[in-house]
Amino acid sequence: MLDMILSQAVNGLVLGFLYVLIAIGLSIIFGMLGIVNFAHGAFFAVGAYLAYALGKEFGWWAALAAPLLTGAIGVVVEMVLIRHLYGKEPLLGLILTFALALLAEAVLRLIFGGAPVPFAAPKFLAGFVEYGPILITKYRLFVLVTTALVLVLFWAFLAYTPYGRIIRAGSRDPEMVGLLGINLPIVFTGVFGIGCLLAGLGGMLAAPLWTITPSMAAGAIMPAFVIVTIGGLGSFLGAIVAGLLVGITTAMTIQFQPEWSGAAMYVLMAAILLIRPRGLFGERWERFE
Amino acid sequence: MTEPTSKGPATGPRVGRRGLLLGATSLVASRLGMPYIGNAAAAEPIKIGMIWAKTGSIVDQAEYLAQGGMLALEQRNNMLLGRPAEIVWLDEPNPQGAQQSAERLVGEQKVVGMVGGALSSFALAISSVAKKAKIPYVAANAATGDLTGKSCNKYTFRLQPPVDVHARILAPYCASIGKKWYLLTASYAFGQDIKRAFTDYITANGGTVVGADEVPVGTPDYSSFILKIRAAKPDVVIGGIAASDLTTFLKQWNELGMKGKIPFAEISVGNTDLWGVGPEAADGLYTITWWYKNPDNSPEEQAMAAAYQKKYNRPAADKAWMGWLGMKSLLDSIEMAKSTEPAAIVQALEAWKYRRGDMDIGYRDFDHQMTGRLLVAGIHPKITDKWDYFDVKAELPKTPDDVAKAFGTKAESACKMDSL
Repeated sequence: MLDMILSQAVNGLVLGFLYVLIAIGLSIIFGMLGIVNFAHGAFFAVGAYLAYALGKEFGWWAALAAPLLTGAIGVVVEMVLIRHLYGKEPLLGLILTFALALLAEAVLRLIFGGAPVPFAAPKFLAGFVEYGPILITKYRLFVLVTTALVLVLFWAFLAYTPYGRIIRAGSRDPEMVGLLGINLPIVFTGVFGIGCLLAGLGGMLAAPLWTITPSMAAGAIMPAFVIVTIGGLGSFLGAIVAGLLVGITTAMTIQFQPEWSGAAMYVLMAAILLIRPRGLFGERWERFE
Repeated sequence: MTEPTSKGPATGPRVGRRGLLLGATSLVASRLGMPYIGNAAAAEPIKIGMIWAKTGSIVDQAEYLAQGGMLALEQRNNMLLGRPAEIVWLDEPNPQGAQQSAERLVGEQKVVGMVGGALSSFALAISSVAKKAKIPYVAANAATGDLTGKSCNKYTFRLQPPVDVHARILAPYCASIGKKWYLLTASYAFGQDIKRAFTDYITANGGTVVGADEVPVGTPDYSSFILKIRAAKPDVVIGGIAASDLTTFLKQWNELGMKGKIPFAEISVGNTDLWGVGPEAADGLYTITWWYKNPDNSPEEQAMAAAYQKKYNRPAADKAWMGWLGMKSLLDSIEMAKSTEPAAIVQALEAWKYRRGDMDIGYRDFDHQMTGRLLVAGIHPKITDKWDYFDVKAELPKTPDDVAKAFGTKAESACKMDSL
């Protein structure tokens, strides 16, 4: 039984890391821009579809460009739509991004059709490895390593580069950052683009594992919201810890009480919010009080 | 004697100049205007309700079901009983949403019949509205036994063979592979029916169920379930998960190296479920309701498949056929009834017949279940055509008598049919 629990825990970590990738983007967009982005799952779906389309036309390696293109689409969306929401009623942002999510799904359906499209992992990542009782596929190991690497790089970017400092400062006091002569609209655009890039990366990595359909965003956005809520809105570390917690909790529920697996993360969220309403790493932000 | 005078009191109708003008105008209106008024009433379109998902986990299949339905009306030049006809298509995001859509179609749109219900839970919800509102309803995709079993009603007709029939055909194939089964089924009516039907079969035939998991709809990651299956070492895995959930499962089944190691079988699978899996990961033994390449397809079906291919530039999936036949049966019945009265349409649906191969198929009067054959199919060892995954092994049951037996007799049916 211990072998099985270990296997499930590792497996849950992979699922958790995928969720983290989606949730981090959602979290930084909220933290910096104050926008609850309902369309974030749509960027996840766009990433998966771009990976499919590029992979089909130019081979698997071309699919790696999908996150960058998703980020570029995010930049355009921010410049055309999202920037009009800054400083406005939060409800406007909810409505607009919700409409954007529906529009993105409809556009994907129009271009690629409603039926799922196939996309497989590259051949060199086929097969699995066994470490004692733990079984993990090469592709999931690749997802695990890639996600961990991206998260470390992103953390280093936020912690050690001047751009990262601007983003962190801007997320707490955008007016002061603006008064210091920093071009805040460009920073906002960049943050939204990075958030969408991370969602696109999640979509690209999930494409060989999940079903690629226009409605796949729904499977990503709900766990992402749960993770951001558990971790604390706007918290980078919170999103990582919460993502891994959700992944492992889901895997363990499948092992012992499979019919509860769909509800497990919501129960976890409710339990944590009862004890700590701001989430695990949530702080008091004057901006949103 | 007094002469009658023209100024005396009128005892009969008096027609003055104004009255004459009014009368003449009325006469002209009745001769010229009324036919137009009459035509306007006749030209009021007959509305048919269609409830297929536009959002949610079954939306991929629903697109084909809806396209098939619309094609059925287009093949009649959008005319019924000599009047224009139109389809009103509403969404079914969940069972409550399906029920609300059905209520809107009946209450606001005044439809004369409905087709839809992509998932069993949706179809059961629509069926309850059909029963209450006394509007004919054809469930073209749902497979739960309850729909034509204990929840049957006079206004609900079902095209898809129920789970038990699929199971009777596929289970012997699975038992011939091995008698230790693992069941992975969805946690709603369709999955629960599969779990019961296959468990009953294998336990009655000397086998065992070594594991059974119920899976929530929309599960994104099946790896934890697959690890459990791997540890249980069954001879066969019986699936009961639908649409994109099945696609996700098969992708991850292959990714975890299980393809070809433990046979996977499932009933009532659609083309679209496999198209999304891809040639590398496609695997399994299935029952399917219709296949666009079946040489035994009727001329009408061949014409439908050709029209579909021409319009959508891809082959007609089985779901397109189901949407088409479900709608066709309703439209044919309205023509047969020569009326849009619900009771007349229901009676016509009970009498409606459609020739396929050597037998007439139609809805049985005692439970409103359509009877017909199913195809047992594996997957081509090497897939060269991106649309052609199925390697059809048999069309069963063989004789019309066996078909009747597979669907069960009136005495075996749980349906207590009500009256009009």
